[in-house]
Amino acid sequence: MDETRTKNRILDLRNFSVDYGWGDGAVRAVDNVTMHVDRSTVVGIAGESGSGKSTLIYGFTRLLRAPGVIAGGEALFNLSDASASEGNFINLVTATESEMRRVRWSNISIVLQSALSALNPVLRVRAQFDQVLKTHRPHMSKSQRRDRTIELLALVGLNEDRLRRYPHELSGGQRQRVMIALALTLNPSLVVMDEPTTALDVVTQREIIGKLAELRSQFGFAMIFITHDLSLLVELADEIVVMYAGTVVERAPAQTLYDSPRHPYTLGLLSSFPPMHGARTELTGIPGSPPDLSDMPGGCRFHPRCPYAMERCARETPPLAQVTNESRSVACWLHAGDEDAAVPVELRRVGVERHPPLGAENAEGET
Amino acid sequence: MRIIGRRLLLYVLTAWVAISVNFLLPHLMPGNPIQTLIGKLQGQVTPQEIEAIRLSFGGGIDKGLLSQYFTYIDQLFHGNLGVSITLSSPVSTILKASVPWTIGLIGVSTLLSFLIGTVSGALLGWTRGSRLDALIPTATFFQAIPYFFLATVMLLIFGSNLHWFPVLGAYSQNLHPGWTWPFVASAFRYAELPVVSIVLSSVAGWMLGMRNMMITVAAEDFVLMSVAMGLSKRKVIMTAARNAVLPSIANLSLAIGLVVSGALLVELVFNYPGVGDLLLNAVQNEDYPLIQGIFLVITLAVLAANLLADVVYLALDPRTRTETVA
Repeated sequence: MDETRTKNRILDLRNFSVDYGWGDGAVRAVDNVTMHVDRSTVVGIAGESGSGKSTLIYGFTRLLRAPGVIAGGEALFNLSDASASEGNFINLVTATESEMRRVRWSNISIVLQSALSALNPVLRVRAQFDQVLKTHRPHMSKSQRRDRTIELLALVGLNEDRLRRYPHELSGGQRQRVMIALALTLNPSLVVMDEPTTALDVVTQREIIGKLAELRSQFGFAMIFITHDLSLLVELADEIVVMYAGTVVERAPAQTLYDSPRHPYTLGLLSSFPPMHGARTELTGIPGSPPDLSDMPGGCRFHPRCPYAMERCARETPPLAQVTNESRSVACWLHAGDEDAAVPVELRRVGVERHPPLGAENAEGET
Repeated sequence: MRIIGRRLLLYVLTAWVAISVNFLLPHLMPGNPIQTLIGKLQGQVTPQEIEAIRLSFGGGIDKGLLSQYFTYIDQLFHGNLGVSITLSSPVSTILKASVPWTIGLIGVSTLLSFLIGTVSGALLGWTRGSRLDALIPTATFFQAIPYFFLATVMLLIFGSNLHWFPVLGAYSQNLHPGWTWPFVASAFRYAELPVVSIVLSSVAGWMLGMRNMMITVAAEDFVLMSVAMGLSKRKVIMTAARNAVLPSIANLSLAIGLVVSGALLVELVFNYPGVGDLLLNAVQNEDYPLIQGIFLVITLAVLAANLLADVVYLALDPRTRTETVA
């Protein structure tokens, strides 16, 4: 790894695993995940419910609730800022509680799915900000804290009259804006978003996504964005990681993944959501349901649901390997360069334009 | 403030209904206090004396129920609760003598029990699964054994045998009641054992309630967020406790309202002057003015406690402050 890549790397997860439970009763919810996030980039993590995407982020942020435990691996986080000449990494897995407290919110902040339950119901908006500022910026005066809060609310398009409101007095979209403003309070270098728009209506979703993209380009924080909605992710993310049953099955630049998925599961996910633009297509979805973590199928974990499964898939687990000549990885035997494996046409396409330009859909007419 | 005003109006209305029911109740009950009194004299009275007794209680002045009702209300506003039949002194004087003792003893015990139970419950809830959990069966054990048995055993061991605490009464008989230091100190000293016994037998309820709420609230997203925000452990626990305490506050208000009704068993075991004992005697002797007086005080105390709880709840939980369009 060369010098510039090191200092531009924000988070490096290496063979990261999370278990629920101990000893014989333990089930592995996140299995040997290796991924990284570079400074100022947006990495999307997609997958069904139970794929381990949320467990992964609660794992490396050390917010797992019992009986969740980190079972192995490293989570290296870069504490230095963008101007530093080299990275200063801390392993979040082995960090002490007091070291973690310094990293929390100053360097890594989190936005959860439901802002109503994520905001303390008995505190006014202003007090929620005060709590953070008093803890991490003890030298700030009352009026400085107030100014900072107003500034942050303005960033997310909220008027300062929201200061005295309680969470239950705000609309769903406003609450999530408050949550985002709260997440940016200390200028973190990484903001983790756990399905921040899932609980919102489509129009508000668009506004929030637009706001996030704008804020990211303004402040240059990196983002991990978790969702099961791949079409949403493709507009925001630089890179997308697809998880299935606790493992990473595919990783690729966002548009590339969207246009030409290589893993059958990714293709299934893409067929489960209507495209944002373009012609109506039949939603096929993925047959079956995610595997039971305590009874994981052998070989490739997706093979019982995979329409292209081969005999080999039930026996051997495919590694996450780089696709030849491309900046992407996939864990699938179809793409292992095996002569016998006939790669189906849907998984072979290169750079297919999945969505025609805006306006073209009118020409399609009724189907 | 408008919400409090509206609540206040509701309480005034409730109080009026309660007072009216209180007035009607003796009229609906069987029996007759004069008959009871005469019965007690066991025939050693002449018919003239019976007539005299009847007249002295307002007999013969047969007024309609409605007119009696207005007289009752009018007297009530003048602080006149009538004269006790058995004790032959004004009900208000009798109440003034016993209500403060009850409020002092049961009130302090209730508050102590609430504080100890809630604080320990919060910690137990936060550290659930730890060795501290052994406190729960211990506390429920003391709540499970009948109170009179617990109190009697405590009185026997710590009072009569070990002489750690004074027994019988609310203060040393050598002292004159008054706001003097020796008297107040003596009152405290005599209250110790009853207070400990009440707290011991009631703390489990507060503890379990708070512990369970704490476990529920600790699983909420905003508690997880307060950890993610890097707040100190103390602040994180306070965030959870602040939200978990709300149901306990509601229960406390109900408990405070019942303080005035006294605790008969406590008063009997420790020979403590109080409302419980007074009410028992009043009911046995069909002493209507006294029964009415005690009921009135209890009713008003419950209402006042509920109003207090409403105000505290409004202050603690902003979600209850939402104005509903009338």
